[in-house]
Amino acid sequence: MAKKSVASQRYLLINAGRLIDGRAKTAIPNGAVLIQGSKVVAAGRASAVRAPDGAAVDTIEYPGMTVMPGMVDCHTHHNGFGDGRPGDFVADVPDEVLALQSARNARASLFTGVTTIRENGPKAYTMLRLRESVNAGLAVGPRMVLCGWPVSIIGGHMWYFGGQTTGPTEVRAMVRRLVKEGADYIKVTATGGTTKTSYPLLPSFNVDELKAVADTAHGLGKLTAAHCTATQGIVNALDGGIDMIIHCTFRDADGKDRFREDIAERIGKQGTYVNPTLQVLRSTVWALERKKQERALTPNEQARLDFFQRNFDRRMEDCRRLVGMGLKVITGSDSSWTDYQLGNTVYEVECLTDVGFSPMRAVQSVTADAAVALGVDRIVGTLEPGKEADVIVVDGDPSRDVRALWNVREVFLAGKRVERGSDASIAATRQHPPSES
Amino acid sequence: MKQKTFTFKLIKAPRLIDDTGGRVLEQAAVLIEGDAIRAVGTEEAVVPPEGAQVEELSYKDATILPGLVDCHVHMNGIGDGRAGDELTTLPDEVLTLQSAKNARAHLYSGVTTLRDCGGKNRTTFMLRQAVGMGITPAPRMLLAGRPMAIIGGHLSYFGIAATGEVECRAAVRQLVKEGADFVKITATGGSTRTSIRTRPSFNPDEMKAIVDEAHKFGRHVVAHCVSSQGMVNALDAGVDTIVHAIHQEADGAFKYRPEIADRIARQGVFVNPTFSVVRKHMRNLEAKVEDGTITPAQQESLDGLNVSYEAMVNGFQKMRKAGVTMVCGSDSAWLDSPMGNFQAELVAEVDAGMKPMEAIVSATRDSARSCQVDDKVGTLAKGKQADILVVKGNPARDVNDLYNIQDVFLAGQRIDRGNYV
Repeated sequence: MAKKSVASQRYLLINAGRLIDGRAKTAIPNGAVLIQGSKVVAAGRASAVRAPDGAAVDTIEYPGMTVMPGMVDCHTHHNGFGDGRPGDFVADVPDEVLALQSARNARASLFTGVTTIRENGPKAYTMLRLRESVNAGLAVGPRMVLCGWPVSIIGGHMWYFGGQTTGPTEVRAMVRRLVKEGADYIKVTATGGTTKTSYPLLPSFNVDELKAVADTAHGLGKLTAAHCTATQGIVNALDGGIDMIIHCTFRDADGKDRFREDIAERIGKQGTYVNPTLQVLRSTVWALERKKQERALTPNEQARLDFFQRNFDRRMEDCRRLVGMGLKVITGSDSSWTDYQLGNTVYEVECLTDVGFSPMRAVQSVTADAAVALGVDRIVGTLEPGKEADVIVVDGDPSRDVRALWNVREVFLAGKRVERGSDASIAATRQHPPSES
Repeated sequence: MKQKTFTFKLIKAPRLIDDTGGRVLEQAAVLIEGDAIRAVGTEEAVVPPEGAQVEELSYKDATILPGLVDCHVHMNGIGDGRAGDELTTLPDEVLTLQSAKNARAHLYSGVTTLRDCGGKNRTTFMLRQAVGMGITPAPRMLLAGRPMAIIGGHLSYFGIAATGEVECRAAVRQLVKEGADFVKITATGGSTRTSIRTRPSFNPDEMKAIVDEAHKFGRHVVAHCVSSQGMVNALDAGVDTIVHAIHQEADGAFKYRPEIADRIARQGVFVNPTFSVVRKHMRNLEAKVEDGTITPAQQESLDGLNVSYEAMVNGFQKMRKAGVTMVCGSDSAWLDSPMGNFQAELVAEVDAGMKPMEAIVSATRDSARSCQVDDKVGTLAKGKQADILVVKGNPARDVNDLYNIQDVFLAGQRIDRGNYV
């Protein structure tokens, strides 16, 4: 027993070429992070960070590299495969198998530097069970902000995961039940989506139902997020008081893209977060282009490719406007969904720099700002005394070029170095644009 | 850039343990074509076809041997000492996750085929489905699914508590439908709280119905027997493997029964002794004695295990003399034995009197025979699946060398044992 308490007094000191603490607007040269147990004790210039005199310290040096907070991905689907198979397929896979797929995805996330995820649509208890396994030490994964399963209308987007409800009372009951089961926030699909029986251009829930989602969740201290692939869904979500708009597609019921500055202004005024999910569209473009390199596309495939390319370009353009208007745009990958696989969150970060984020803003968007958006900023997101020591070390300087985030060399979760295995196995999780494959 | 694909792999090492079980070839080689073995022999004798693309792997101071076959695992297990009664309270998703972890650990430690002797509900079948989808790696798996148990019987908490011939047949048919490769019966009680160790569970008519139904579908039957009458019933019913095979009377007395051993030998039934899981548990209890934390109940358990283990070793030696084929199965991750340490069972067999080479044969060729997969695996021979293990040293001299894994090949594929994704 005595031995153990001495061991827990040990400090871990990480020295690196620079530190991004998630707060400062620039990287700090010759940075250091001091960790004790699961927590950050100090972070700053190496000369200013030291353990108390006489304390036992293990020091690790990462010369030329950057030490920074672990990444926070606001939008994941750990049940998914990201190989083109739709959600309707995923829903037919038995829960036990989905738990295994989720565990694999969770490792891919963690090993590539994502130390916190917010899960946006798993089936039934699969992710709750995975977290139970991680907490029991039986599995490995990042911190998880879970919704349980998404709330939808009958036949609505992701109804197949178990959350079909009708009317404010049923919605209220569903939210309470989710919170009872362990949900940290509530995900609702405010429009249809890729789900076969849903209508992506139309709203799903009525405003009174969305209000019931938000009010019940807020009453229990939980945040909310709404999937919106149509303009009326965005309006309804704003009316309902939802905290985060996902996709935020400005598209009318006739299928026409019409950016609505008035609605965008309202999003800004209400302080609602926007999670634009750009790379998930480009992933499908890449998948079809790759197919096109192998053989001629069918007319349907070509039409799909054209649609996704147009859609991606348009969403990028819209997102550039949202960023320009100063809205709270946040990084969330939406992987593994359609053709986008977990372990590739950095592509979404790249997209956001393409629409106007500076590299540092993009880094903060996938660390500090994301943690605020998820309401977990008291625990993670920056490297400050008292926060959990979720730390990554990357080769290069992401504050100059976010592609350095691909070069994760080390991951610490709650102060513990994560055993990530062979480089080859981690490299295999990366998806590549068609030209490179 | 497209990765170079090799159709052939040529593996060379100073030593090779082949199919005969006893022979060590010097300066040997195996030629793999795709997933199968194309040739085995001395380096000079094993020559790839002219013009073939060959990936050559040469190992210094190493021994090539067949991938290990663990004929007794419980992938649901955690191996942290918790009883099955506790284990089974975990949700199926959690147990499936644990099974995947165990399967991976076993594969990376050199086991290329395992036989799972019982998990909860459909968890092991679900693991197989996930493996088929490429979600997680695993050795070849022979699955029982849920064990056949009586009401309150050993492992009945995993989902089957059958009574009478008809229910037994229905349960077997259901297992076969779900994908069972063999049927596991708990023919006596065991560690399950509501079961009675020293007594048989199923009646002979039920046992016969189970075996009859399983054999009808070409499935073999493995019977858990920790007391003598259970063995007699299992033999009467015609089971194929007896697990534990402890000669213990209903009154608790350990009494070796030579006539049972003779019948086992005569009927060609395999025996899987499961030493290591018992020994590890004893060691953990002894550690508690050392640091003074043992409870009276644990002390009583340890005293009992000491007697029981001695009886197991005695039975093992006598049954071998009587001509019984012993097959190696770890029983991990039951009790305190995590998976990924099948080697401990071979070490225990050697400690109980086998020569290292005999233990290796019991954990490869003979284990594969008891699993009825010896047409595919268990030995290194032309046409067999290329499930191959390379270890540093010479395990035929020191069985502990099996811990020094250099490489594992499953169906001709070299396993990245550092892949944790």
